[in-house]
Amino acid sequence: MKVHVDPERCQGHTLCAMIAPAIFTLDDVDGHSTAIDGEVPAGQEAKADEAIRSCPEQAISVIP
Amino acid sequence: MTTEPVAGDDAERKKNRFHFDRHTPEYREQFTEVTAEMLDKCPVAWSDTYGGHWVAAGHSEVFELARSAEYLSNDHDPQHERRGYKGISIPAPDVGFRGGFLEMDPPEQRHYRQLLNPYLSPAAVARWTPLVDEIVRASLNEKIETGRIDFVDDLANIVPAVLTLAMLGVPLNNWDIYVEPVHASVYTPPNSPDMPRIMQSRIAMREDMNRQLAEIRADPRPGLINALAQAEINGTVPPDPELLGVISLLIGGGFDTTTALTSRALEWLSEHPSERARLSRERDTLLDPATEEFLRYFTPAPGDGRTISADCEIAGQQFKEGERIWLSWAMSNRDPAVFPNPNEVDLARTGNRHHSFGLGIHRCIGSNVARMVFKRMVTAVLDRMPDYVCDPAGAEHYQTIGTIQGMKHLPATFTPGPRIGDGLDETIARMQVMVDEQRLADPVTARKGAATIK
Repeated sequence: MKVHVDPERCQGHTLCAMIAPAIFTLDDVDGHSTAIDGEVPAGQEAKADEAIRSCPEQAISVIP
Repeated sequence: MTTEPVAGDDAERKKNRFHFDRHTPEYREQFTEVTAEMLDKCPVAWSDTYGGHWVAAGHSEVFELARSAEYLSNDHDPQHERRGYKGISIPAPDVGFRGGFLEMDPPEQRHYRQLLNPYLSPAAVARWTPLVDEIVRASLNEKIETGRIDFVDDLANIVPAVLTLAMLGVPLNNWDIYVEPVHASVYTPPNSPDMPRIMQSRIAMREDMNRQLAEIRADPRPGLINALAQAEINGTVPPDPELLGVISLLIGGGFDTTTALTSRALEWLSEHPSERARLSRERDTLLDPATEEFLRYFTPAPGDGRTISADCEIAGQQFKEGERIWLSWAMSNRDPAVFPNPNEVDLARTGNRHHSFGLGIHRCIGSNVARMVFKRMVTAVLDRMPDYVCDPAGAEHYQTIGTIQGMKHLPATFTPGPRIGDGLDETIARMQVMVDEQRLADPVTARKGAATIK
């Protein structure tokens, strides 16, 4: 499983990093999120799903 | 809701009509019913109130509208220099200035956000946590031995105010110049006999803001005001009234909203003692989702107005340029299509895509501050006053919830406990030294790392 944060949609609500800090990192200056490159770590898939479901801007998607 | 056709070309466009007046006490009393009816029958409706305006209640409709900045303007233009739009309040207040970057559109709005983000990002906010803990500890100290506290007056009014001033670069000791006018302005009706006194306190606050801006411009010290004093926006230096509008926005956003969230949550927890014990016990996993759930359920800032800036169709509704629209974060937060059992508090709720900090480019710039301060206040109360009981006879909610869904007072009793360390005045004096010595109010681009308590 791989995930992506659309930088055009992300507004820095920070819920994804709150839910799944191993997957999402926040920019120091504006708090906008980026997802780690590569596979979501094993066992973190449910957290990735919850981050996707919780994003107020619907900015996170699964990369097929 | 009525569906009688209206005359003229608008008949079809405005066929969903709902008499919506969020400034009446009835709206507060009937919020759940009004919300359910609008969500069910007319998630976007035309209301004849305040000169006529649209109201968006549905979650998906509010989502789509709030993220359509190309068709929805936040601009407030009291001098009619552009198109005379009326900003984010419906009705617009009778003031000659606009309320900071929340009443601007890009690119101007973006310049201000970029200027201030480095003071308010998660990384910038984290450094303040030790200072917040000190202010919370000292505020509780003032009441801990008596077994009685007013959670609004003695805690939730104080901590957000002291922190906001610290971030601005204003002396912390000035907090009591600011608290009363900000808090009372929100809940006092314009015709109240108390209004002249509140106006006096607002003038004193405005004078202090002016003084701080002038002082910092002449002799820079770290903080949000310093960023504004040195700002160039679109290549020009903004006039002082505009900067004072921005400072007022930061103060208005920083004070009463977090106060409202904290008091409402503490009241709910008193009414649900087993949930309170569970939150305290499982705070490592439950505090984050519980905070989002309190944000959703209580929605401290219940909505924002916009002006349609070009004819358009959004969320299946046709709008015309110049029409006003109210985006209800509070009602969209109760949409059963997104939130199962929307009128119940579920501390462990998942998929909580609430709108309490707004959406799109105007997302609350202080959201990281609000969450941190709320969590520190609530956990300190759970630790030091675990058996508190709020007094329903003394609990006083704002009469209306048109601007902030807050409380004037929330008295409680609890088993007295020991003071820990010094009191509020001494602590604030110590914190001022820390703020100055450690340059805590510098932007994250200049300073990282948490405050060191001395």
